[in-house]
Amino acid sequence: MSLSRKFLMLLIYVLSVTFCAQNIKINAQNFTLLTSEKVFEAGSEIVLSFATSTNLKPQLYCSNSYGNTLVTPDLKNKTLTYSIPEFITKKRGIVFWKLITEKEEISGNFEITPLTKTNTLETYLGPPSIEAGGTDFTMLVVIPSDSLDNPLPENTEIIAKHQFLSDEIQEKIITENLLAFKNIFSPKKDGRMIISSSSSTLNSKEFDVNIMPAIATNFEIFVNRNHEYADGNQISTFSTSIIKDKNNNIISDGSFVYFYITNSKNAVLKTSGTTINGVAKAKIIHPDHEDTWQVKAYFLGISESNVITVNYKKAVQDFSIAFSKDNRTLKIGPIKSFMNQRIPDGLQVKLTIYKDKKIIKTIVKDPNNGFVNFSLDKNIYPNDVYDLEISTAGIVKTFKAKKLW
Amino acid sequence: MKETSNKYLIVALLLAIAFHGSAIFFTLETTYDALIHLFFAEHYSTSWFEPWNFKWYTGFTVMSYPPLVHQSIAALSLIGGLKFGLFTVAIIAVILFITGVYRFSLLMTANRTVAGYAALLAVFSSSFLETLHIFGQLPSIIGISVLLHALPEIYLWLKTGTYKYLLTSLSLIAVTVTSHHVTPIFGMIFFIFPLIGMVILDVSREQVNSYKEVTFKLFIKNFGKQFKRNMTFGLLSLALIIGCLLPYWINSKNNPITQVPIPHGSRDNFLEITSSGLVFFFIPWGILLLLLPYIFYRYFSKRYLFFGLSIAMLTLLGTGGTTPIPKLILGENAFNILTLDRFTLWASIMSLPLFGEFVYRFVEGDLKQLIQKKFGAVYHRIFAGFLASLFLFMAIFTMSLGYFRPSQPQKIKMLPIVNFLNQDQHDQWRFLTLGFGDQMAWLSAQTNAMSVDGNYHSARRLPELTTRPIERLENSKFKGVAGIGSLQQFLTTPEKYHLKYIFSNDKFYDPILYFCGWQRLQPLENGVMVWEKLNVPPLSSILPKDDVATWLKIMWGIIPFLTVIIAFILNIQSIFVISLKTKIKEAPAYLQFKTSYKQFSSGLLKFTHIWTVFLMLILGYSLYLFYLKNDSQRTPENAITAYYDAIDFKQFEKSYQLINPKANLPISQFMLQMSVTDGILSSYAKLDAIETKVITKTDSLTTLKVTTDWITPLEKIKRTDFKTLLKIKGKWFIEPETVDLDTPPDQLYSKNETRYFNQGRRRITTEQTYHEDILKQPVLEILSAKLVKRDNRYSIIGEIQNIDNVPADIVLKGTLYNDANKILATYNAKYHVKHKLMPKEISAFKINFEGIAWSKTQDSIPKTFNPDEFTPVELEEQPTKFNLQAAGNVSNTDLYKDAVLSDLNINLNSISGTVFNSGLQEITVPQLLITYYTSDKNLIWVDHLFLKDGIRQERKQNFEYAFIDDKKVEIINANMEDCYVNGLPNDEIANKIISDRIVNHRNAELQKIEHTQYGFINIEMNNFIGNPK
Repeated sequence: MSLSRKFLMLLIYVLSVTFCAQNIKINAQNFTLLTSEKVFEAGSEIVLSFATSTNLKPQLYCSNSYGNTLVTPDLKNKTLTYSIPEFITKKRGIVFWKLITEKEEISGNFEITPLTKTNTLETYLGPPSIEAGGTDFTMLVVIPSDSLDNPLPENTEIIAKHQFLSDEIQEKIITENLLAFKNIFSPKKDGRMIISSSSSTLNSKEFDVNIMPAIATNFEIFVNRNHEYADGNQISTFSTSIIKDKNNNIISDGSFVYFYITNSKNAVLKTSGTTINGVAKAKIIHPDHEDTWQVKAYFLGISESNVITVNYKKAVQDFSIAFSKDNRTLKIGPIKSFMNQRIPDGLQVKLTIYKDKKIIKTIVKDPNNGFVNFSLDKNIYPNDVYDLEISTAGIVKTFKAKKLW
Repeated sequence: MKETSNKYLIVALLLAIAFHGSAIFFTLETTYDALIHLFFAEHYSTSWFEPWNFKWYTGFTVMSYPPLVHQSIAALSLIGGLKFGLFTVAIIAVILFITGVYRFSLLMTANRTVAGYAALLAVFSSSFLETLHIFGQLPSIIGISVLLHALPEIYLWLKTGTYKYLLTSLSLIAVTVTSHHVTPIFGMIFFIFPLIGMVILDVSREQVNSYKEVTFKLFIKNFGKQFKRNMTFGLLSLALIIGCLLPYWINSKNNPITQVPIPHGSRDNFLEITSSGLVFFFIPWGILLLLLPYIFYRYFSKRYLFFGLSIAMLTLLGTGGTTPIPKLILGENAFNILTLDRFTLWASIMSLPLFGEFVYRFVEGDLKQLIQKKFGAVYHRIFAGFLASLFLFMAIFTMSLGYFRPSQPQKIKMLPIVNFLNQDQHDQWRFLTLGFGDQMAWLSAQTNAMSVDGNYHSARRLPELTTRPIERLENSKFKGVAGIGSLQQFLTTPEKYHLKYIFSNDKFYDPILYFCGWQRLQPLENGVMVWEKLNVPPLSSILPKDDVATWLKIMWGIIPFLTVIIAFILNIQSIFVISLKTKIKEAPAYLQFKTSYKQFSSGLLKFTHIWTVFLMLILGYSLYLFYLKNDSQRTPENAITAYYDAIDFKQFEKSYQLINPKANLPISQFMLQMSVTDGILSSYAKLDAIETKVITKTDSLTTLKVTTDWITPLEKIKRTDFKTLLKIKGKWFIEPETVDLDTPPDQLYSKNETRYFNQGRRRITTEQTYHEDILKQPVLEILSAKLVKRDNRYSIIGEIQNIDNVPADIVLKGTLYNDANKILATYNAKYHVKHKLMPKEISAFKINFEGIAWSKTQDSIPKTFNPDEFTPVELEEQPTKFNLQAAGNVSNTDLYKDAVLSDLNINLNSISGTVFNSGLQEITVPQLLITYYTSDKNLIWVDHLFLKDGIRQERKQNFEYAFIDDKKVEIINANMEDCYVNGLPNDEIANKIISDRIVNHRNAELQKIEHTQYGFINIEMNNFIGNPK
């Protein structure tokens, strides 16, 4: 053999080795890969064949993103054939393989591509409720996949559709990294948006998103009552104007409104209500004494109402007290209300008994039919001199140095 | 000599099977233990060789109890179900017991008639009745019965040295061991040791002419001679006790019982706690108490001397904590683990042969002659009638105990609960039952779902349980502070245990469930209420277990039945020979030692009479004391106690009898007043203690200061009332209280409200819930959060707002860290938060860090009840940082917000005010959450107040709240960086919805107070509705 031919042979050899070495490290002495395809379609039969010079039957290690397996070959006519199992051939992606031999290492990979026909549209939408106003959004995610449940190739076209009131909007999106997505921003109005998607002829099922009203803006409050008297029995109802958000949507039902009431003694009272159609109502019982209330309602941290002033007039002007002979029985009444009617049962009458300027007992009783009786038992209050104080409806009457006997 | 059938024994057996065999169907399921054994049996019927059971206590091993009885029930259940197995085994236990008593009596008395009498009496023996029909201790009964069967065989081995008897006796000991481990251990001491002594005495007797001639020297000599046989038997039985239950012993060594002892009535002082004395002393002894002189006289005769010592010891140990002696003998540890009633049971069983003997002598023997000679035939008949009626009375009394004083709640239909757990993957979480009694075991046997609780306390593993002297969470209300305390920990941090469902059969627990953040789901068909907790993750599919070696599992599965089979083979021949009389059998050796019943000691008869009179006097005197204590109108104190007791048990008619009849209060009015009061005190409280102090007293009028302690599920309530009592015709009566006359203004009124319904799964499917059916978690905003220290306790306080558009259930979980970011403690918010918030509603919160109560100081468990007991967690290091996780879930229940703060008066150290109910539901337990602010309006502390009375619709309730004391609150960390809502950072998620929040909006509306530490407060209201309509 001449030198040039030798050189040529060497060149071809080197070239072929370098060519093969791009993907495969081959020790040509024992095993040589015969299969030349590098790309297969999912679901097709995939067989790797190797030429071999020995009778050894090494196993082929295969690995894709779903798992690993070992494949045992058939040896026929110095050719090893490996049929790749279905669970690997069905899935798109890159399959790495490696021939397990004692000394040499032969390895490589091939790619499985998905089918091109869309079979299912895996669709996700969330969150299922968003706030109106255009800042909040919901995300539609679509994964078009083939009959073997492989996501379709990149840049597959999907049509995302949504309907809101009179708008019906369609928009093309393309898959990227296996999926296509779209952020759907909320409209200004509240309501329900219907969303779906399609790919070629296939359509997804219907999804919906609730567009909830945004936070409330300032509002007004009113009071409604049967009369203006502080009888400690009737009920006043506070209500709000229709509360809306900045886009003029009525805020969602059930929103909690705090009503704070500051009375003339600077005590902070409190009632609350939840809205229905934007209006919250809150009840409170009338005070049992003359009072002036400053009322203001809040969505705490969000918005507030104007302040209204509510006056309660004196219902009970005066009452009389009759002592028994021994001063041990006090008959109070009749306690009369604003039209001289006897006050309804339930107004508290308080008797405080002092001895040497110290409270020894406070008795609270409700009038029955306008009258209250207190009787001071001899066994409990021995004969002595006491100060007695009777108060009801904001009226206080004091009897100094009453002698009980 | 051909032996005739013993008619007494046959009659006894027939009677026993007929009586017990039918009675068990009415008693056994309501006993304390039977259902627990049924649960174990269910375990074996599904996994015979696998000892790990996941259903109770987050997993436990059944190797903690001898398996024979459970495996027998399990094997029989394959034929006719679990209950068939239970009843069959119970009937077998009855047969074994009666025959056992017969054989033991024959061994002791060598007289078939006497043994027959003993067998007959055993049928109605009150200790046996109690053990079977009240306690349901099947393994214990089978254990002692088989031991009784073993005793004659042991005697014969020791006496004759025939190896056949060694084998039969050992085979029976093995069966005893596998059915009940305690019986053979103590049986060794109390039955077998005396038997050995008796054998030596019998051997000695054979060498001389009478027992009188048996000297101590001769005894010692024969003791040496018999030593080899005794040792052979002793060592081999010891080997069996260890060998047959080897897995049990290994398990006990690996998992020693290191738990706080659970109080048991048998350890009480019977004189102080008379109910324990009744159940654990009076009933098991029964009529034998009258015969104690005879029994002791006979057992302390020379032949039975060792039995005499044994029975004296058993009697003494059976007296429990009445004297300190049992504790001294057993030692502190054994005393607290053992239930001492078993000693009384054994003593009474040991007495049965002599009871038989006495009755024999009384009915047809020398005693009859003696009595007839001394007192005449009529007296004999009367005395016989007296004894017989007493005996029958004890039997009926014992049997009826379960009827008049039920130990269990009414039988609960389990099917609706089982169905509920099987539906909709509800068994993927753990459940808890409340107020089920021992029936919880039956529920567990029927479902695959797991419970955090359990009914076999020796197997408890969670430190939250083992450090408490409670058997079950289930009945925690009866276990005082420890019980409710333990329960609270499970209710507050249920995520830790994957506890999502609670089946409540007792409305007592309703308030604690509500205020711990649980919500009602629905009442089931059987009336049991289902409570649910949101935000609890399901159980993982693989759960941890303590595995044991396979050989142990195989031993455990095979040996028990093997012992029965071997015992059966070895003993079957003699059983058939005896019963079928196929061949004339040589009389056993013990029949040679007959007692002559010729001369009943007249001194003994006299003493028995004196003893009877003495006992009757004691009985009479105690009944008199009982009467004095219970005559409700003898003294003002009695009247008050009776009145409060009647109110406590809701016996309103009885309490009305104590009301001054001249007070012009008709019963209908009184009943009406009682029926309209609701609230924590009148509906959920149990009277714990009552103390009366006379303030003034004249002949006809007394005023009393009555201090009552009430246990409620939420806190202990102390209440002081002033009561006036009048004496009318020698009887004391109570002046009625004044009635609340408040009249609401509206007869009929209406209210519109927003209500919610969550569909859950919209499709009926067993698949995982579709993602579009899962609601978005409501967005919350943590407005403020700080780690504070007050009184050496750390708390996280703050405020949280529901900023979403739907109502939310709130779960707040706080974690404390030190500077090195090491986790120190984790806990959830308990009472100090409104767990349900409407959209835009705010709640203050406080997370207290509770430790596992008393885990350090086991001996200092308080004796009195205090459900509000708080055990601060022991922190190894100083917490400096905190992490707060808020989770919101859409909620549609318990959204009642109609409590109104309608009046407020600020005093120096307190505030008083009025809460008005403006809505349509009756508020059962109103709660006030009081938030404290500094004078520059910084949130600094959160406190609460439960109002004692409920508030009816459109009515008011006054309250008085005393400010907390001056202890300084130190703010450790107010950095809100680590606050998260639904797993997302608080700031970000809040900014999206409320981007320009009006900060400190509420500051304008805070209530100013006069206090050295605090400038302002704010009051919020939270309401528990007991009966939503």
